Amino acid sequence: MAYHAVTIKAGKGGFGGPLTLVPTETRNKVVSVTGGGIHPVAAKIAEMTGCPAVDGFSTGVPDNEILVAIVDCGGTARCGVYPKKRIFTVNVLPVGQTGPLARFITEDIYVSAVDASCISLADESATQAATPKAGTPTNPTSAPKTKAQAKAEVAKMNEGKEKNLATRIGIAIGGVVNKFYAAGRETIDITIKTILPFMAFVSMILGIISASGLGDVIANTISPIASTLPGMLIVSFICAIPFISPVLGPGAVIAQVVGTLLGVQIGLGNIPPQYALPALFAIDAQVGCDFIPVGMSLGEAEPETIELGVPAILYSRVITGPIAVLIAYVFSIGLYS
Amino acid sequence: MEAIAAVANGFMDLFRAGSETFVAWVTGIIPLVVIMMTAVNSLIKLIGEDRVNNVAEFATKYTITRYTILPVLAVIFLCNPMCYTFGRFVEEKHKPAFYDAAVSFVHPVTGLFPHANGGELFVYMGIAAGITQLGLSLGDLAVRYFIVGVIVILIRGIVTDRIFAHMSSKK
Repeated sequence: MAYHAVTIKAGKGGFGGPLTLVPTETRNKVVSVTGGGIHPVAAKIAEMTGCPAVDGFSTGVPDNEILVAIVDCGGTARCGVYPKKRIFTVNVLPVGQTGPLARFITEDIYVSAVDASCISLADESATQAATPKAGTPTNPTSAPKTKAQAKAEVAKMNEGKEKNLATRIGIAIGGVVNKFYAAGRETIDITIKTILPFMAFVSMILGIISASGLGDVIANTISPIASTLPGMLIVSFICAIPFISPVLGPGAVIAQVVGTLLGVQIGLGNIPPQYALPALFAIDAQVGCDFIPVGMSLGEAEPETIELGVPAILYSRVITGPIAVLIAYVFSIGLYS
Repeated sequence: MEAIAAVANGFMDLFRAGSETFVAWVTGIIPLVVIMMTAVNSLIKLIGEDRVNNVAEFATKYTITRYTILPVLAVIFLCNPMCYTFGRFVEEKHKPAFYDAAVSFVHPVTGLFPHANGGELFVYMGIAAGITQLGLSLGDLAVRYFIVGVIVILIRGIVTDRIFAHMSSKK
């Protein structure tokens, strides 16, 4: 069977690319990691390349067989996982270099805001040029190796030079200060790239809800449910239903928005404060259900394990979701009273 | 004319409420979170990943530590989403349960260690904002959230382990 190379460019508001994908005998799976099912973009790429499309949610695929991963990540985690492994990544949402793995999201490995019109057959010359690149993804072990070599070289240079005490203390302090500085930089990075954008978006929604009068509707419907134990058990059960939980999961956006709405109601006195603890578990029974295959592959699980592991976790949540609420309810006794 | 002005004012009011919330969060939440995150990030860099790895390898041996100490360490030291890479220390048959335990801890951890999941702070902070508004202290809630989180991930690990074992034996 003959494969065809395709070129994918970024869509409107997108980042990265264009990527040229050249399928080979071994590296030929188009993996759709979009919360179940094959995304139309994945189907289109599969059709044009002649490669099989695989639902990455129900089937595990070894990393070295993945031609390209299709994700629908809003910028929290998934969009950086595959670029980190140097696997070509197509995000159907317009997301650039964000999230905790932002530094791995580069133009040569990642393209976003992709729809069907962004995909075209690659011309022959581009194929030629891209083949070696696709065949040899950057070796992840090369970095530490060179680091070790550099260390050895430095050690060699320092041979025979006896360091005095002051120098050694100076170097040690310098190392510690550098670590503090790096920690500060990482913190500011995540504040600007993920915390502030989230605050902007949620405060806009909250503002509109409260100014438009929708807030009263929410207060009258959600508050009675969230201030009784049976109500919260039902919420956690709904969040844990196996075909709903993966949809509710991505980026914990829904849990965060609901959490903020409940917080407002607690602040207004519509929900008693001790219910905060069980509520935290009730709205979060679906945590990470969208991320199961990716998360397990980060833990180096075999594809067969992932295939069975996904339903195992989804079923387990139906049991453990409500149990978590019960435990939290018990532990909330004596809180704020 | 007046009607148009009234509409325009109403339109602006829609966003004014949001801007007040935004300022309150930026001045009330960010400074503390930034300092805490910097402190914990520094500590993690000073301790170093190697030492954590040694503890992790030990913690995989027993069921109880595998679904408590191991995921808690992974989440605090490697943060979301790299914490799942600790799955490599775990036997193949326990990997789904370990993932389930680790991922279920990425929100309970944020009350005490916001650095571990900076992108998803508002599950906790959203609800915590209401508590603060009532003038109550957050420490009690954060500590209980953490403790219940550890108990829940242990149960979740054990239940998922059973279900996975049952499913693999049937196949």
